Amino acid sequence: MTSSVQAPEKTPVLSREEALYGSVEMPLSVRQWIWAAAVVLLVLTGLPVAGKRRETFRPDPDYRVPYEMSSDYWLFERYSRLAASESKTLVVGDSVVWGEYVPADETLSHYLAALAGEKKFANLGLDGMYPVAQAGLLEQYGEGISNSRVILHFNPLWMASREHDLREGKEFRFNHPQLLPQFSREIPAYKASFADRLEIVAERLLPFRPWVRHWRWECLGGADLARWTLAHPYASPISAVVKSAEGDAPVRRANLSWKERGATVQDFPWVELGESPQWRAFRDSVEMLRRQGDTVLVVVGPFNEYMLTPRSREGYRRVVSEVGKWLQETGVLYFVPPSLPSEYYADASHPLSEGYAMLGREILASEAFARLLQPTTEKSTQGTNR
Amino acid sequence: MLFHTWVFGVFFLVFYPVYLAVKGTRLRDYWLLLSSYVFYGWWNPLYLLLISYSTVVDYFVVLRMAKSRHRKLWLALAVSNNLCLLATFKYAGFVTENLNALLAAMGGQYVIPVPNWLLPVGISFYTFQSMSYTIDCYRRRIQAEPRFVRFATFVSLFPQLVAGPIQRASNLLPQLQQEQKITLADVTDGLSLFLVGLFKKVALADYLALYVDKVYGAPGHYQGPALLLATAAFGWQIYFDFSGYTDMARGIARTMGYKLMLNFNHPYLAEGLGDFWSRWHISLSSWFKDYVYIPMGGNREGQLKTYRNMCLTMLISGVWHGATWMFVIWGALHALGRVFTRELEKTAFWMESVPKFVKQMLVYAFVTFAWIFFRARSMGDARVIISRIFSPQWVDPAFPLLAAMLVLMVWLYQHLYESRARWALQLAPVKVGLATCMILYLAMMVGSSDRPFIYFQF
Repeated sequence: MTSSVQAPEKTPVLSREEALYGSVEMPLSVRQWIWAAAVVLLVLTGLPVAGKRRETFRPDPDYRVPYEMSSDYWLFERYSRLAASESKTLVVGDSVVWGEYVPADETLSHYLAALAGEKKFANLGLDGMYPVAQAGLLEQYGEGISNSRVILHFNPLWMASREHDLREGKEFRFNHPQLLPQFSREIPAYKASFADRLEIVAERLLPFRPWVRHWRWECLGGADLARWTLAHPYASPISAVVKSAEGDAPVRRANLSWKERGATVQDFPWVELGESPQWRAFRDSVEMLRRQGDTVLVVVGPFNEYMLTPRSREGYRRVVSEVGKWLQETGVLYFVPPSLPSEYYADASHPLSEGYAMLGREILASEAFARLLQPTTEKSTQGTNR
Repeated sequence: MLFHTWVFGVFFLVFYPVYLAVKGTRLRDYWLLLSSYVFYGWWNPLYLLLISYSTVVDYFVVLRMAKSRHRKLWLALAVSNNLCLLATFKYAGFVTENLNALLAAMGGQYVIPVPNWLLPVGISFYTFQSMSYTIDCYRRRIQAEPRFVRFATFVSLFPQLVAGPIQRASNLLPQLQQEQKITLADVTDGLSLFLVGLFKKVALADYLALYVDKVYGAPGHYQGPALLLATAAFGWQIYFDFSGYTDMARGIARTMGYKLMLNFNHPYLAEGLGDFWSRWHISLSSWFKDYVYIPMGGNREGQLKTYRNMCLTMLISGVWHGATWMFVIWGALHALGRVFTRELEKTAFWMESVPKFVKQMLVYAFVTFAWIFFRARSMGDARVIISRIFSPQWVDPAFPLLAAMLVLMVWLYQHLYESRARWALQLAPVKVGLATCMILYLAMMVGSSDRPFIYFQF
């Protein structure tokens, strides 16, 4: 049995002013905002420093940035600084230097160290890198690479066609978009929206973001917290460490030659270097390194010429010749190694383990490398082309 | 242009200094209008044609109405013009599809082509805002705005343009008419509102959306626990999403010296459905109350007509949200719920014996249940979800514990805010601590977010 009653008058939660114009639940005064900003600044500047101290980073001589962490530029910067401070010769480049088809102890830097008899070569290759991105990498994260000896690998593959050269107008899936010029230079194949470009530029202005990305790679496998908890609903993100910066990357692909893989002869058209964004970016990288006081030795190729049609091989040689000409004119040490045996190539540009060993021997025996080791005043501006 | 993107950040960085420079001059209205149109046209410049058309018609109709003896005629013209816009762009597809279904059921061979027009973002909001101006002028509650630029700015003011709060002319127009004085408190309050809104949207709504989208995307693959949690999560997602947008809108407006009305007031602490609707999307609820419910008679013509008016208002509110039968069902559920709870609230048992917390839980459960029809893609999906929720078979829902904890913390905060212990939340260390945690969470834990706001589709 229920009876009808009058609802009691309730005290309104909001005043009339609040109801009309809306309350501010958490109003902070100027002083309180200053306090909040100070604490935030302190944390965001302190955390990377504290993180660096907490995280032991003693890379072994054959260390390379793990494949999954190729976009962890904070780690790249840390490793490059460390390697430069240990007076190592820094081997910089894309997946050819990184060692796409080989384990960490069969890469170019490993063989250079083994053959030279001293563990003084650091693998600064990053997977998925290409000249335009590499220029961005060196500009934004390469400050630590200064007053060092640098072996910079030039992979002619990036000039093999307009598509490789990022000149095709159609959409192209990009690795490392964060490293590309967003507004200053046009990359025809890079079709990111204005909003995406702006976000990348804005992120560059936030100095703590690279560390945040690193921390996410370390603890959350590269995901943001929300996505990570979706995959690990009951785990604590504080204790989670998915990927250690010191962990070695496993071999990603089988140790097979290009013929065993079923790759066929290609008729790459090769681009004119004068209009090539990739070539322009590569030149920028060389000049940037030199401005930072580095002594640079450019190793051109060796590309898998067996995989080219006769016509394409002509184009390739033209490109290499023009590259050599520019390096010579600008006084950069360079070395064009001869082709490796066909069975030493895994594809058009990546050597297999034996290929790296042979390439290492060629580099060490070259006159350009000998000049690289000379004190600065004794270096001439001549490269070699054996 | 979304508030939580860098594009908006750049837009505001350009807009604000100029605004500060011209706010004391006649250029202010022109600058506000231009900026609002840039903001709106960023989605699609074609949208500007529609909002301009609606603005021009309402402006001139109201001016003519003021001088005319046939005021009702001019009112009818303005209102039907706005309703026609809505009908064309929002409901034409729905009506045609249903007509086709009817024709097919009657054995007809003819199929009417279904229009597939782009629904302009925010059309439901600015048409309602413009209509409220026209009706208030007709009722002589406000005076017609003589300056076109100012009226156009009132319709399109960018912080509230695409998803409200739907402003009344009596609130916003006087603010636009007077010289704007921006105090330091306006700026800090605006920043506070923006931060809270940003956190609600990016850290909470978009987080919950990941789980909700996964489960509601394929409800047949999930069992009761996951479906129940996804439904509850959607209730919070839509609250965080929409109230987050509103907070940001109000925060931006506050930094410009304008006070926009409150739109959400802890709706999940409501003790009755009537109470819920006085806390949820307040600007729309009060719009319907003032321009639909009361003109129909409100509660002045007996119980039966009161309930009829209530039900019709809720049904129209459902249809306002979207042109599908799911929204109609959602509106109908709330209509029935309101009638039932109104009766319940008259009983001594409910008023005196049922603890407040139980009332809150019951309202929350009902509202959450109704969200199923709001979110499900089809009636079939809704049936699957309901049947599985009510015949539970235990399968680990894999709902992120962190998300549950965050929601719980917000819920506790709101309880505390509405309790006598509210003073504790106003302590400086608490506020600074909360703001710091929110900024750090946004800076470190959240990925890039350009997920649009749910209410943009309405």
